[in-house]
Amino acid sequence: MTGSAAFGGGDAYRPRRDVRFRRIGEEAVVVRQEAPEVLVLNPVGARVLELLAGGEPLDAVGAKLAAEFEVAPAAAAADARAFAAELESAGVIEPAPEAETGR
Amino acid sequence: MSLGAVIAGAWRDNVLVSALVELTYRCNLDCFYCYNDLGLPGEPLSRAQWERLFEDLAAMQVLQLTLTGGEPLAHPDFFALGRRARELGFLIRIKSNGHAVDEARARRLRDEVDPFLVEVSLHGAGPESHDRQTLVPGSFERLLGNLGAMARVGLRVKLNATLTAWNEGEIEAMFALADRLGLRLGFGATVTPRDDGDATPLSIAPSRAAVARLYRVLGERTPDPPATATSPEGCTPPPAAEKNCGAGSSGIAVDPHGNVYPCVQWRRPLGNLHQASIREIWASSPVLAGVRGLTVEAKRRRDGLGETGRWMAFCPGLSEQRTGDPLGVEPGALARAEVLRQVRTGAAPAAGTEAVVRRAPPPGAELGAAVVPPAGAAARRRTLLPVIA
Repeated sequence: MTGSAAFGGGDAYRPRRDVRFRRIGEEAVVVRQEAPEVLVLNPVGARVLELLAGGEPLDAVGAKLAAEFEVAPAAAAADARAFAAELESAGVIEPAPEAETGR
Repeated sequence: MSLGAVIAGAWRDNVLVSALVELTYRCNLDCFYCYNDLGLPGEPLSRAQWERLFEDLAAMQVLQLTLTGGEPLAHPDFFALGRRARELGFLIRIKSNGHAVDEARARRLRDEVDPFLVEVSLHGAGPESHDRQTLVPGSFERLLGNLGAMARVGLRVKLNATLTAWNEGEIEAMFALADRLGLRLGFGATVTPRDDGDATPLSIAPSRAAVARLYRVLGERTPDPPATATSPEGCTPPPAAEKNCGAGSSGIAVDPHGNVYPCVQWRRPLGNLHQASIREIWASSPVLAGVRGLTVEAKRRRDGLGETGRWMAFCPGLSEQRTGDPLGVEPGALARAEVLRQVRTGAAPAAGTEAVVRRAPPPGAELGAAVVPPAGAAARRRTLLPVIA
């Protein structure tokens, strides 16, 4: 599944097994061990990945972004979906099994 | 923002990104030029203390955790600690001699620790030089077998070598071996004294001609060598960095007894984990504050060396060890910088540099200088451990 159109608000994602990431200052540095490849995410992207890795479903990610970055909820939700799609196509995240998300 | 800019920011703002931990000084080889201080006093950290350190480092957002030694796999809790490091999400690098990494252990490494990279020491292109340096007969053949096992299970492996008088005739052959194995080979030209100051390893420092040949080979193998490379040996500052290196600013090292240092080469104790947490040491060590200031001074010092400084890997840790002053110019670094400059630019020796090199170094500091091992050096031999034999 790639592309924002395929992402539903209740979907949950997790970092792929070979992905390591940390906040360094405002940004996040993401390493895909198997590529190998390093990505640098801006503060919003860093927060999206952090929330997804913490088990938050996409709709909750959007809501938190709206609150933390003071943007309209609809815009934040769309941004979260689009960025999650980007992360998935970049091999950083994958859909979380239902058992992990409690769905 | 680029990765270089992120790292530069970490240097500037003292954001800890990388930690190197020497889990144990036990080893199943007995390398002649090993830098470990085998007489280091103190109490080894317990497994619980290592785990607490890892948890603190993860909370501090440290990305890279290097597990080294000695031979890290010789630590009785190596796999438990490796698993914990993986759970905590570190990018794990393991520096090993490879001697114990047979197929079964290679699988355990892959499945339980999942390192980003396993760096394995190569001492020569054949058993004569390799086993001579490891002091363990058969270690070369065993390493070849284990490298094959690591490849079969899919571990990412890189070879590391240090140029010495005993392998300097094999530079091209070592690269050919690495190529045959399909592995990258990192090759450094700096033999350092042991951490207790014992200069015995310098007795096998490479010749100047061999250093020049190594730099030439490295240049030929790099598609686009930078026109003003500082050194092929790393520690190159990001552009516009005000510090010479990330020692104590973005990185630290920890020895088996919990002493914390700015880096693996700069053995100025910042604190000890038996007395304080890494968070406390990082936030309030007065020694660390001084080290950070010295890295700024070191950058100015190197910049002040003009053309030579541009080619130099200026290591305050090595300078402190060799000259007593972290801002002192370590003669070996000066000599290597001059060799690199000549190799990369095709230039004649800089006026005066040769005289400086000849005048300044203490015994053993020149590239190929011979040092008579001190009496009792043989007493340093390790007990080879059956635990990972």
